[in-house]
Amino acid sequence: MVPENMKKQLALALRSIQWSYAIFWSDSPNQPGVLSWGEGYYNGDIKTRKTSQGVELSSDQIGFHRSEQLRELFKSLKTAETNPQTKRPSASLSPEDLTDTEWYYLVCMSFVFNIGQGLPGRVVASGQPIWMTNAHSTDCKLFSRCLLAKSASIQTVVCFPFMEGVIELGTTDHVSEDLHLIERIKTSFLNILHANDPLKSGATSKAREEESVACVAAFDHNAYNAELIPEVGYGIINTTTSPDGSSNALQANQPPDETFMVDRINRGSTSQFQSWQVVDDELSNCVHNSVNSSDCISQTFASPEKIGSAPNVENLSDLQKCNNQKMTLVDPLSDDWHYQKVLSALLKNSDQLNIGMHFQNFYQESIFSIWKKGGPMDCQRPRVGASQNLLKKVLFEVPRMHLDGLLESQEENDYKEGTRLEADENGMNHVLSERRRRAKLNERFLTLRSMVPSNIKDDKVSILDDAIEYFRSLEKRIRELEAQRDITNVETRAKSSPQDMVERTSDHYSNKINNGKKSVVKKRKICDMEKTNSDALKVSSTNDVTITMNDNDVVIEITCSPRAGRLMEIMEALNSLNIYFKSVQSTEADGHLYLTIKSKLTGPTNATAKRIKQALQKVVLKS
Amino acid sequence: MDNSTQDSHLRSENSVTYDSPYPLYAMAFSPNNNNNSHSAATTTQRLAVGSFLEEYTNRVDILSFNPDTPSIRPQPSLSFDHPYPPTKLMFHPSTHSPLLKSSAVDLLATSGDYLRLWEVRENSVEALSLFNNSKTSEFCAPLTSFDWNEIEPKRIGTSSIDTTCTIWDIERGVVETQLIAHDKEVYDIAWGEARVFASVSADGSVRIFDLRDKEHSTIIYESPQPDTPLLRLAWNKQDLRYMATILMDSNKVVILDIRSPTMPVAELERHRSCVNAIAWAPRSSKHICSAGDDSQALIWELPTVAGPNGIDPMFMYSAGCEINQLQWPAAQPDWIAVAFANKMQLLKV
Repeated sequence: MVPENMKKQLALALRSIQWSYAIFWSDSPNQPGVLSWGEGYYNGDIKTRKTSQGVELSSDQIGFHRSEQLRELFKSLKTAETNPQTKRPSASLSPEDLTDTEWYYLVCMSFVFNIGQGLPGRVVASGQPIWMTNAHSTDCKLFSRCLLAKSASIQTVVCFPFMEGVIELGTTDHVSEDLHLIERIKTSFLNILHANDPLKSGATSKAREEESVACVAAFDHNAYNAELIPEVGYGIINTTTSPDGSSNALQANQPPDETFMVDRINRGSTSQFQSWQVVDDELSNCVHNSVNSSDCISQTFASPEKIGSAPNVENLSDLQKCNNQKMTLVDPLSDDWHYQKVLSALLKNSDQLNIGMHFQNFYQESIFSIWKKGGPMDCQRPRVGASQNLLKKVLFEVPRMHLDGLLESQEENDYKEGTRLEADENGMNHVLSERRRRAKLNERFLTLRSMVPSNIKDDKVSILDDAIEYFRSLEKRIRELEAQRDITNVETRAKSSPQDMVERTSDHYSNKINNGKKSVVKKRKICDMEKTNSDALKVSSTNDVTITMNDNDVVIEITCSPRAGRLMEIMEALNSLNIYFKSVQSTEADGHLYLTIKSKLTGPTNATAKRIKQALQKVVLKS
Repeated sequence: MDNSTQDSHLRSENSVTYDSPYPLYAMAFSPNNNNNSHSAATTTQRLAVGSFLEEYTNRVDILSFNPDTPSIRPQPSLSFDHPYPPTKLMFHPSTHSPLLKSSAVDLLATSGDYLRLWEVRENSVEALSLFNNSKTSEFCAPLTSFDWNEIEPKRIGTSSIDTTCTIWDIERGVVETQLIAHDKEVYDIAWGEARVFASVSADGSVRIFDLRDKEHSTIIYESPQPDTPLLRLAWNKQDLRYMATILMDSNKVVILDIRSPTMPVAELERHRSCVNAIAWAPRSSKHICSAGDDSQALIWELPTVAGPNGIDPMFMYSAGCEINQLQWPAAQPDWIAVAFANKMQLLKV
């Protein structure tokens, strides 16, 4: 499949243009119809460290040697997994010794392409060369190795059909499209092939291979031209009838056809007629190059030798797209180095040839049946309920169960043992504890806002301002009262609860407090008051929770007995359901606390009206 | 031993069904297959199933499976309580570990509020340890899944709804590292190599992490509609280039090749409704099984490259009800286990 002297040809071609690497993708011997690594030559940067072999090598020899080493290394990486016991064959290189470009070249060895897919696959399908100048920023739909190419700073990749496969050339330089270059390379290949074909000119010495480019470029076509004249002539006639054809282009496109012809003849397996067809096909493809031509497509299909399932039109538009499209899906965190390391770690443990089958006894014993398109009817029944029901429950609801459970026990702790906490600031994960701290802070701010008469503005500064103002007024009031008591020394100590009630109610209406020359709430007093209230409530317990849901908007109305910390508990219960409030209104009257909460569901939540209600009733019923 | 519990119903040559008193979700096979002294003559396989009850008390039952008969026998003395349903069960992947005191002992890990290790002995189960990374008892980051590192079994990686993955050294009982892996809840985690793991998240991405370089990660795939959560991840242990993931509310199994990030190499789209579980074949690099709401378990053979019309599965099995869980145990590669409703079924491949 791969000609023996392919590597030498690649080397020669590559050195003539000073590019980094060349790969010949050929039909895979294992899987027909699939392109895999046939041969390659590496001509790029080399880390000098491990290349000193003691023996003086010419630059050519170094190149061959290195390519051989890389291939060995790849094979050793692959076999490492198959026989974990046997030590991996001693490759003279290890992945750490590679430059980025070498690494790219190495990973390329593991790729395979279907006809029509990937860069080489498309070239085979269309029979047209592809010249890509921004390989590293190309859409990975077209060039699947773009991320790798980026890490190796490969900029220009060129693919063109050759013999049964595809030649891929790449360089780290930016080289603008130049079809003459491809032709020149093809000519040089042609030269070598011809020279080594015993049927044609067995006498030509091997020395030719070592010849410099200058020689190659100046290669004398006569030897085979004589033979090919009829075919080429036919091609010319055929193409000049095409409206797009220009004689210049034709001249330029002659060599590739010749390449192809010689290739055919060398194989000696194709009839003259087929060859003619192919010449025609190739030629018109090249002439039209980037012009959409329905002729091209039909001709491609007409040629049985080159099965191309992907229509040219699509390829071309993709190609055009790829030049404009930037790769969008790059991880902001991603680092080429990281990606490479991971790949090398994994490639070591992977083996593409490991195709163990486990279905030998299938037909006798398995309960599985052969899949058929229609399938049995019982699968067609309409589904009831949500999809992925249990899986979603496991992933979304089970965590919530744990959190709810924790919250409950935590609340008990909080109110039995008083407040305990904030000891985890030194925890190993600072960001997480920070995130929790912020959530807690926000919660407490909301609670504070509900306790302090405040304006409509609910940013933190306003809440704090209101609180400061409120406490100042309280302090002032305390001083006034104490002064009063000192002077009069009478029994003002015990305030009656009705007065407190007024006070508490007024807390929530900012317009009322400032004229509050009445009395001031002290914590102790609230407690006193509460006892009486809860006593009263036992008689007429009208705890009630009403939920009105409209899309993500939730209106919650709660009637319950007032108690210290009640509001905070409700807020916490709502927070744990991922409900965040837009506004909270509370009124206290007749020994009842009336709450109206307007809120919004955020994030992935499974909070249903029923769930919210249950959660809130739990809080409300707690006395 | 309580023999009133049925051995197994629906017994046949190529499948066996276990009826549980409660709905089942989590499921795991022991890698050892001769640790049951009750039937020394035949080899039996220990497996664990976890209940799914939406209440505090849930159960983990240990069963023994005899592939020769085939039959499943519950081992009531080995059942134990678990707080809320376990999100995943997994046995110690290796037969040798300082934590394994004898060959008759299995180690079982469960995830839920915390990662827990249980020692499954011949006739009893003992809670061995609880791994809690939080300094205070007031906070807990519930775990959606975990994976035991087969190459270095002292490592367990857990995924949490708090966007992190935690890597435990279970032998020393310490956290090796905790990474903020994703922008949203992490739903599954899978080891590829001793120090490389990948995770999927509600943020819709598959990311690869390397413990040698904790600062970086590589996004291997992102769901096409932004932020479609990815729910499960399976790394092909026979060919680490490939991994598979499933999306929320999707009938697709997405096959990824780590060498060409962002472009799936194949999308398996023959399920008639959403996919719930995926498992790679333990002994073949090219086969994967998937199961879903359409009650089918499908076995796929991955071609080298996908054709234009998508990939058809090779084989199928119909369970009659949504399949929620799927395991293809390495110790019994000829059998695939599926869980649906309150049944667990072992199917001969």
